[in-house]
Amino acid sequence: MNKVQIDEILNKVNGIKITHKRKTRIRVDVDADSLPTLLELIKGRASYIHLSAITCVDWIADNQFELVYHVWSYEEKCLISAHTRIDRGSEKNPAKYISVYDLFKPADFFERDIFEMYGVTFIGSPRMEKFILTEWNGVPPMLKDFDAEAYVQETFKWTDYNPDWLQELTDQGGGIAVKPEDIRTAGNTHNMSTHRERDKAKAAAVKANDKMQGWKQ
Amino acid sequence: MNALHLMAELIFMPLIAFIVGMMMVLMMRKISARLQRRIGPPFFQPLYDIVKLYGKDTQISHGLIHDIGIIMAVGGYIGAEILLPVPGMEGIAAKGGVITLSYFLMIPSLGMALGVGQCANPNGSIGISRALTAMLAYDIPFILVVFGAAWHYQSTSLIGMIEYQQVHQWGIVEMPLLAIAGLFALQGMLGKQPFEIYIAPAEIATGPMVEMSGKYMGGLFVMQTFQLYTAGVLYASLFLGGGTSFLTLLPKAFLVVALPMSIAFMFPRYKTEDVIRILWKWPVMLGLISLAFIL
Amino acid sequence: MKKELKIKQKERTNPLAHVFDDFIRFCQSKSLFMLHYCTGCGAIELPPAMTSRFDMERLGIQPMVTPRQADILLITGYVSIKTLKRVILTYEQMQSPKYVIGICSCTVNGGMYWQSYATAKKLNEYMPVDVYIAGCMPRPEAVMAGLQRLKDNIRNDKKEHKGSAWKDYFKRYDYYLGNQQALFGEDWQTPTDIIAEAKLYGLETEETYGKHTKLLEKHQTPLLPQEMRIK
Repeated sequence: MNKVQIDEILNKVNGIKITHKRKTRIRVDVDADSLPTLLELIKGRASYIHLSAITCVDWIADNQFELVYHVWSYEEKCLISAHTRIDRGSEKNPAKYISVYDLFKPADFFERDIFEMYGVTFIGSPRMEKFILTEWNGVPPMLKDFDAEAYVQETFKWTDYNPDWLQELTDQGGGIAVKPEDIRTAGNTHNMSTHRERDKAKAAAVKANDKMQGWKQ
Repeated sequence: MNALHLMAELIFMPLIAFIVGMMMVLMMRKISARLQRRIGPPFFQPLYDIVKLYGKDTQISHGLIHDIGIIMAVGGYIGAEILLPVPGMEGIAAKGGVITLSYFLMIPSLGMALGVGQCANPNGSIGISRALTAMLAYDIPFILVVFGAAWHYQSTSLIGMIEYQQVHQWGIVEMPLLAIAGLFALQGMLGKQPFEIYIAPAEIATGPMVEMSGKYMGGLFVMQTFQLYTAGVLYASLFLGGGTSFLTLLPKAFLVVALPMSIAFMFPRYKTEDVIRILWKWPVMLGLISLAFIL
Repeated sequence: MKKELKIKQKERTNPLAHVFDDFIRFCQSKSLFMLHYCTGCGAIELPPAMTSRFDMERLGIQPMVTPRQADILLITGYVSIKTLKRVILTYEQMQSPKYVIGICSCTVNGGMYWQSYATAKKLNEYMPVDVYIAGCMPRPEAVMAGLQRLKDNIRNDKKEHKGSAWKDYFKRYDYYLGNQQALFGEDWQTPTDIIAEAKLYGLETEETYGKHTKLLEKHQTPLLPQEMRIK
C-alpha cells in the first residue's frame, strides 16, 4: 500500500492531520472523539492489527494529557502513532477516556499502567486496578506536579557518612569526590526543571572539589 | 566373637564409614571443580559443613515424624554399614547376607519420605515422590545384579563372595556385562546426573531438602557420606574382589565412586519417565543376558 | 494457624557447654551457604565470583536454594518497596546465626535510584546488615574481599564483636519494626514471632518492646492457611 492509498483511508476521518516521517513511521493527530474510529478503520481496512503500546504525556502547561497509540502492521511494516489530547482534569474530577479493549485485547495492560501512573480512568477496560505499585498510596507518580525528590527527602533517612571505613580511605588519600549533600540539598534541585541545569550544578561541584584537592584539570 | 568385640565393631564400622565417606564427598567436589577448571574446596570442607549445620542456634522442626524420618534415614545407613564386611571387621555380616543389605538400603528413602511428608511444603512432596519413583527405577537392575552375583558365587554372604574372589579371579572378569549393569544401577543409586531428578536444585528448590535445616540438613549430609561409602564398598566387594586390608580395598572403592562422578558433571538431567525408561531398558537387558550366561 | 509457643528458655549451664564454641565458630567461618536473593542488577556479579576465575567454593561458600538452608542473604542491587516486603519475610525465615551482605551502592545510600519514590534507601534501617560492598557493580575481586571480611568478622567475633549483627534484630526489634511499619502501613505482620524468638535466645532487652510492637499486637490477626483451589 503506498502513500496515496493510506492517505485515502486515513482521510475518511474528519479533522485528521497526517505526517509521513519515514517509510516506516506515520504520525497522525486526531481529536479525542475520533480516535477509536480511526483505530477501527486502520485495523479493518489497512491491516494495522498489532497494538504496540499506549503511552501518555503530561502537558501541564496546556492542562492536557496526550495519549499516543502505536499500531503496527505486519504487511506494511509500518507504525502509525495516533496522537490525541484529553483534558487533564483535577483531583475532584479525574481524567477519563474510552478504552479500546474491544478492538485490541492487549490494551487493558497498557491502560492499567496509565491508570496507575497518571490517574486516567479508561471506561470499558475490564480491570482498572494497580498492579505495579501495589504498595503505593499517594498521587499517581508520573504527574509533573508530583515531586519525587521532595517526597524522598521527607520519607527516607540517609546514611551517616562518617564511618570508620571512609575515614580509613580518606587517610590513605582517597575519599568522596562530590559530597552527596551538595547534590541533594532539599529544595535546591527541584527548582531546576531540566536535567541540564542539574548536571551543570553537579559538574561545578566536582570541579570545585578537584581544585580543592589539587588534581590536574 | 564375644560381645565386647562386637560392640567395638558396631561403633567402629560406621565411624570408619563416616571418615572415608567424607573423603569421598571431598573427592566428588574436587572432581567437579577440576572438570570446571576451578580449584575446589579445601580438604576438611565436608567436616566444616557438617559441624556448622549442627552448630546452628535455631532448629526448626515440623513435628515428631519429621525428627523420626531423619533418624530413620541415617539409621538405615548405619545398619547397612554393620552388615558390610570390611577387612578386619565383620560386624554381623555373617548373619545377614546381601539380601538383608538391599533391604536396609531402601530404608533411608522411606524415612526421608516420612520426614518430608510432614514438612507440608509442596516442593518437598514433589521431590520425594520423584525420589521414590527413581528408587523404583534403579532397584530393578540393582536386584538383578545382586541376584546374578549371588547365583554365580553360590552364596549370599558377602564374606563368602570376597573369599571366592580372592582365590579365583575378580567378579568383573567373570561377569563383565553384569558389572556394567551394576554401574548403571550405581549411578541411579547415588542420584547423580543424569538421574538427579529428585534433587533438581533450581526446579523444585532441592526437592526433599527444602525444609531441612540445621541438624536435619546435617543428618542428610552425614547420610550422603554413608551412601557413597556403602555404594563404593559394596560394588568393590561384589565385582572387584574386596580386599584383604584397607590399603587394597579403599582405592577400589574410591575408583568406583569416582567413575559416576566424572561422567555425571557432563550431563543434564532426565525427566522422571525417561529415568524409568532408561533404567528399565539397558541395564535390565544387559543383566538378563548376563544371567542367561550364568544360569 | 496461630499456635501457642511454649518457650523453654534453655540456659546452657552445663560446664562443658562452651568448650566447643570456638571450634564451632571456626567451622562457621569456613563454611557459609549463601542465598542470593537477586534483588536488582547486582546479581550479574555473582556468577563470575562463582565460576572458574574467582572461585568462591574454595572459600567454602556454596549457593543454596531456600532461606531455610542458607546462612548469608545477599541483597544485590536496589530494593524496591515491593521487594523489601518479601526480603524481610525471607530474612525472618532464615535460621540464626545469619548474615546479610548488601552489595552495590543502592543498599548503602540509594545509589543511582536515590530520587525514586519506590526504592528503599538505607537497608540498615529495616534489617541489620553485616557487610556492605559498595560499587556499581563491584568487581568480583571486591565481592571476594567483602566475603573474606565477613569470614574474618565471624572468626574473630569473640574479640571484636563485629560478627553477630543478627542479634541486633532481636535486641532492637522495636526500631526495625517502626521503620517497617512506616513504609508498609500499621497492619504489617509476618508469620514469624520475633519476640518469642528473642525470648528463646535470651536476647530480649527493653528496646525490643515499644510503641510499634504494641501496634503490632493490636493489629495482629491469626494467619490462616491458604485455601487450595483447583479451578
